[in-house]
Amino acid sequence: MSEPASANAPKPSSSVKLVLLGEAAVGKSSLVLRFVNNDFQENKEPTIGAAFLTQKCSLPTRTIKFEIWDTAGQERFASLAPMYYRNAQAALVVYDVTKPSSLTKAKHWVAELQRQASPGIVIALVGNKLDLTNDSGDASESAATENEFESTPNADEAAGEEGEEQDVTPGDARKVPTREANTYAEEEGLLFFETSAKTGTNVVDVFTAIANAIPESSLKTGRGTGAGTGQTALSGRSEDSRVNLGDRNAATAKEGCAC
Amino acid sequence: MLQWNSFVQKAQSLIDPANFNIPALSSSDHNPSKASLFRQQFRLPDSQNPLQEITADLVLPLPNSSGTQGDRRVDRAGARYTGRLHLSERFICFSTQPTSFLPSASLTASTNWTGQTHGTGPSGNGFTLPLSCIRRVERLHSASHVFSLALTTWNGLLSKQQEPNFVPQRLIIQLVGSRQSSERFCDCLKKGLREGMKEVDNLRLVVSDCYSEYLLSGAKGKSQEGNEADARQPPDAGLGMIFRYPGDARKLRDRSKMRLWGEYFRENGRNTTLVRQPTFHKLIRVGLPNRLRGEIWELTSGSLFLRLRSPNLYQETLAQFQGQESLAIDEIEKDLNRSLPEYPGFQSEEGIGRLRRVLTAYSWINAEIGYCQAMNIVVAALLIYMSEAQAFSLLSVLCDRLLPGYYSTTMYGTLLDQKVFESLVEKTMPVLWDHLGKFDVQLSVVSLPWFLSLYINSMPLVFAFRVLDVFFLEGPKVLFQVGLAILRVNGEELLDVQDDGSFISVLKSYFSRLDESAHPRSENPKLRAITRFQELMVVAFKEFSGITHSTITEQREKHKDAVLENIENFAKRTSIRNLGPESKRLSVDDLGTIYDRFYETLYQWQQHQRLIEEERKRQEKKKSERLSILAPTESEVGRVGLGPSPTHMDYEAFREFLAATSKWAAGDSPAPSRKNYPGDQGYHSQKGSTKSLLWANRRLPADHEFMQRLYRKWATDPTEGLSLQNVVNGLARLKGSPDIMNNINYFFDLYDDSGSGEVDREGILKMSEALLFLSRRGFEGTISAPTQSLEDLNGPRDREHAEQNRLTADERFLGSVSAFIRRCFEYADPSHPQNQGTAKNNVTEAAEKLDSFAIGGDDDEDLIDVDGDSKSNKSPVSEASPRPAKSNNPNATTRGQNRQASESANPALDPNNPLHITLPTFRMVVLADELLEQFFESYFPQSFHLSDHPHPAALAASSSLSSNLTTFSNLGSLRSPQLGAASGVSVAGASGGIVPPGKGLRGVLDNIVTDGIRMAAERELERNALGRDEDDDEEDEEDYPRRADASAAAMAGGIGSWGAGAYGADPERRSVREADRDLLEGAEVVSVRGKDESSSLLEGNEDSELPANKAVGSPTDHSGGNSSSNHDVEVVSKVVEFDS
Repeated sequence: MSEPASANAPKPSSSVKLVLLGEAAVGKSSLVLRFVNNDFQENKEPTIGAAFLTQKCSLPTRTIKFEIWDTAGQERFASLAPMYYRNAQAALVVYDVTKPSSLTKAKHWVAELQRQASPGIVIALVGNKLDLTNDSGDASESAATENEFESTPNADEAAGEEGEEQDVTPGDARKVPTREANTYAEEEGLLFFETSAKTGTNVVDVFTAIANAIPESSLKTGRGTGAGTGQTALSGRSEDSRVNLGDRNAATAKEGCAC
Repeated sequence: MLQWNSFVQKAQSLIDPANFNIPALSSSDHNPSKASLFRQQFRLPDSQNPLQEITADLVLPLPNSSGTQGDRRVDRAGARYTGRLHLSERFICFSTQPTSFLPSASLTASTNWTGQTHGTGPSGNGFTLPLSCIRRVERLHSASHVFSLALTTWNGLLSKQQEPNFVPQRLIIQLVGSRQSSERFCDCLKKGLREGMKEVDNLRLVVSDCYSEYLLSGAKGKSQEGNEADARQPPDAGLGMIFRYPGDARKLRDRSKMRLWGEYFRENGRNTTLVRQPTFHKLIRVGLPNRLRGEIWELTSGSLFLRLRSPNLYQETLAQFQGQESLAIDEIEKDLNRSLPEYPGFQSEEGIGRLRRVLTAYSWINAEIGYCQAMNIVVAALLIYMSEAQAFSLLSVLCDRLLPGYYSTTMYGTLLDQKVFESLVEKTMPVLWDHLGKFDVQLSVVSLPWFLSLYINSMPLVFAFRVLDVFFLEGPKVLFQVGLAILRVNGEELLDVQDDGSFISVLKSYFSRLDESAHPRSENPKLRAITRFQELMVVAFKEFSGITHSTITEQREKHKDAVLENIENFAKRTSIRNLGPESKRLSVDDLGTIYDRFYETLYQWQQHQRLIEEERKRQEKKKSERLSILAPTESEVGRVGLGPSPTHMDYEAFREFLAATSKWAAGDSPAPSRKNYPGDQGYHSQKGSTKSLLWANRRLPADHEFMQRLYRKWATDPTEGLSLQNVVNGLARLKGSPDIMNNINYFFDLYDDSGSGEVDREGILKMSEALLFLSRRGFEGTISAPTQSLEDLNGPRDREHAEQNRLTADERFLGSVSAFIRRCFEYADPSHPQNQGTAKNNVTEAAEKLDSFAIGGDDDEDLIDVDGDSKSNKSPVSEASPRPAKSNNPNATTRGQNRQASESANPALDPNNPLHITLPTFRMVVLADELLEQFFESYFPQSFHLSDHPHPAALAASSSLSSNLTTFSNLGSLRSPQLGAASGVSVAGASGGIVPPGKGLRGVLDNIVTDGIRMAAERELERNALGRDEDDDEEDEEDYPRRADASAAAMAGGIGSWGAGAYGADPERRSVREADRDLLEGAEVVSVRGKDESSSLLEGNEDSELPANKAVGSPTDHSGGNSSSNHDVEVVSKVVEFDS
């Protein structure tokens, strides 16, 4: 099945299962769409269960093919999440920089992943909608259009917010200071980025950073076909087979978890 | 713990009325209830029950001969079906399926039914007629003894326009059975018909929305280009009428399907009056014509009957909730633009508006579900073919019956059916299953959207609708059959798949080519013409015809527990993690226990409430409310995994929770017949299941003021109830730190009603009562045997202590409590500074005496000062001085004030002078008693049992803990070397100001035992008695007949009688309490005759129990108390007996 990398594919290619988690409407699907198709849509079809997309990411020494599971954000779909993050090697936990409750939710997801997902999963914390803040230079747009969901009152969140309130410039839709999220990410050992799926700021960087952070040992190599970008989500190339390394099966995620 | 949890759930699932209505399980026999099977078969609303049934022949008369297609009619002429005729409240149903739904019928019959549903669909041949559409019933004269009825229906007569060639529908039914049973059936039918007449208006309304009426009225055929100006407008058959229906109508052969249906309707009735013959099922299998699709869906799913019941519910709901907002609405709004966006209707405001209204209206009538993503897609699809009101009622049939639990907040139905699907794949396609397992491809990742959105966004719309056509007729098994067929058809390709990605893409490309020929290279043109979709349908319904409704039901039952458990574990994990920083003070095990107990209690409480409610309803015989027509009635409530469960417990439930947590919170009588548990015992004893027995055999919780205080203290909003967070925080504060000061402070806080840092006299009494309440089941070993220290401290009372040492901890604790009360009053501060001026004049000897020992300062420094120099107590002196112990002139104004202030303050030595203790005083008083100290040190926090550690270990740990930490022995010079330091530190640290505790407290105790305070104490206690009485009158607690101790004596001597009266159901306990009394009498209590002062004081009081107060004395505790005479003691106990 797996053949040694042929001459026309100089760099070894490996697949990485990546899952996106986060509160509803923080822009998970948009991030993926930006990364995969370099596109942005105002009205994306809602994700039922999860959407599956692939994209390649070329590193100097190797090519990473991301198999991206973009999960539904609605709260009640949370119980389906274990099905999707099972065996994932990387996770993108997304929050909305204009919505503090979404960071709380993100923290919950991080905790969930750290305990339930494969050990050694690479987690990136991503604050999306940077375009709505002053940092992006385009602060004209207001975040008021965003609906407030699931604003679960949470003690630590509230405390954290108030402490940092002064960081927030008036007139700025930003509600989650970079420093706060960054501090949290450092504590938990997460990669941290602030992005804008709309403008594309930092989006590719996130995925590249993840690709770099995946330990070589946990990569499974497949028949590399160069660094072509998979423009279609589902190319149907079943010949793109790859070896299934033992570690994937040995992942700790409970068999049949919540499904 | 986890095992217990799962056991509990298993037990539950055995008894729970099934949440899956198809068929719902009755709570009693783990089998589908007849009524629900009946409703299921005929798609009837939940309000219907099988009343009568009889074997009958349905004779369909010859189709009237207007005859273009005479041949075919002749073929079917005189069709005669044998089957069962059923009667419910509002329906008469006939089915060729030999089924029986009467409660008395044998069970096998109803199981047979589920086995036979495949192929023809659950309804078989026959009819489901609302009684309202029967116009008349005639008894036919027949030569034979056959009992024949002719039913004439309203078919075709409800619209104003007369249809061409119309002949009224007439069904002939020959009852087969004894004359008696036939007569009985007819009687019942007659009654039903009379009721049914009331619904004819509804019928007219509903039927007018049906496209079939329009079709048959001939309006369509004739209305060729405006030659009929007033031609009837066709009823709303969905957005498709405006934006075109998906697919190519010619390719779908829509016109000829329409013609066939028209013909079928003419012969067999339409909408409500339709008679199902084999052709009906065939016509559905080939795909419904666009304009009739909505109507037939409505008919086959039974949502038509919901609409018939309340035709205006949709509009009414919209009107009722107009302008209101909800989370669901926000969520809906977000998805409106992304529901079937490829269909032009949903790019327009018209389509989006309809979608918005239907989803919103449903979210209002079923708030438990609210809105779930995927509902938008399903409803959007429905709206292409039906009106808003039709889609609305069909959606509720979907959510309640066809897709149970799919869209609930936990989506358990979705997850469950995925498990079922996987197990079916494993069974039917083991090779593929093994392959997927080998490559770790998770099937449900692919199949979940199929089920959740009914294939609508997996397949091209035209094909998804074909699946829906059959789905509404035959039920959820169709989803499984189609899913299995998809895998079977693609089996070979799928066997090459090695990861999720390629698995998905194989299927995606298959779906995109469903319209292509299944056999493109075949020589046979007929074979070539078969599309992949047709092939799929054939595989689904032929090859997987073995997948029946009972298969699905069985499998769901099998996997339900595991799935719910998974969800609940997930929910538990998540919510425990999200409990916030406070919860970190408890171990994960403890949190898990709290979580389980919390939801278990809520669940049980909920079930319990529901039963009571049902009982009440049954008694009132009230018709169910409008909304309940659509709401599922047989679903269980409260279980976390099933969806929205209550998140807050009220006080009643909290009591149950406490009873499961702490011994002291359990009631004293094991099976009381309390008035707030009507039907409780009866219900639970009926059900033979383990779980309900557990619940029934549980100790009913006690009800005590302390528990109420705990409840109020823990709740963020007592009216809303306690959330898990509240309970966790409450317990974390109690158990989270092993610090005695924390516990003492906490206890004090509970009684600090005003939040002013002061507890008044009433509060002190309530505290002592609570101490007794908490300790009445013993100390579980947390309070150790008396130590040297006590003797050490109370040196002069050697004899007394020799006696005390022989007593049990329980008994000694009573003494401690009585000492507690006494000391509290001794060291209490007066509350009303404004009284001081006048009161100062009345300073008495006693008060002066008291001053020198009064140490109850407002802050810790006073306490310290006491030790060194009692004379230097400036603030206690000034505050204590106003106690006019002997002043007998309660003037009206101050009395009024006192009464007003009686909640927060009460007089100590005098009714005019309210007193209070502060936290430092309270601490001091507690620490002054070894038992009380141990009580707060270990027993109090430990009496809340969380994770089920093996008891011995926990207790060993706890007792060692208690002996290790600050006891008086530690504080004094006898402190054990290795522990002393630590304990000293902890006390000092926690108590803040109290520096060298050992010496200071000892000094305090020396003061305590001085008889200089005797007088003051007496007076306090007299006043206490009054306070108590008032208190009792206000509170009127049935559980505690405290009138018995409405005396000062009760404070000491009466403690025993409280025990007997309030808790003492069993004689053993009573005897203990009597022993306590002995103790109190012998060692601690001095009963003193009421003095003149006290009686005159009492005269000023309007209390009704004046005589009792007069008669009693009050206890004091000091060495002089030993001189108390037996005579006095007798008086005390007599009074107590008399009063009780």
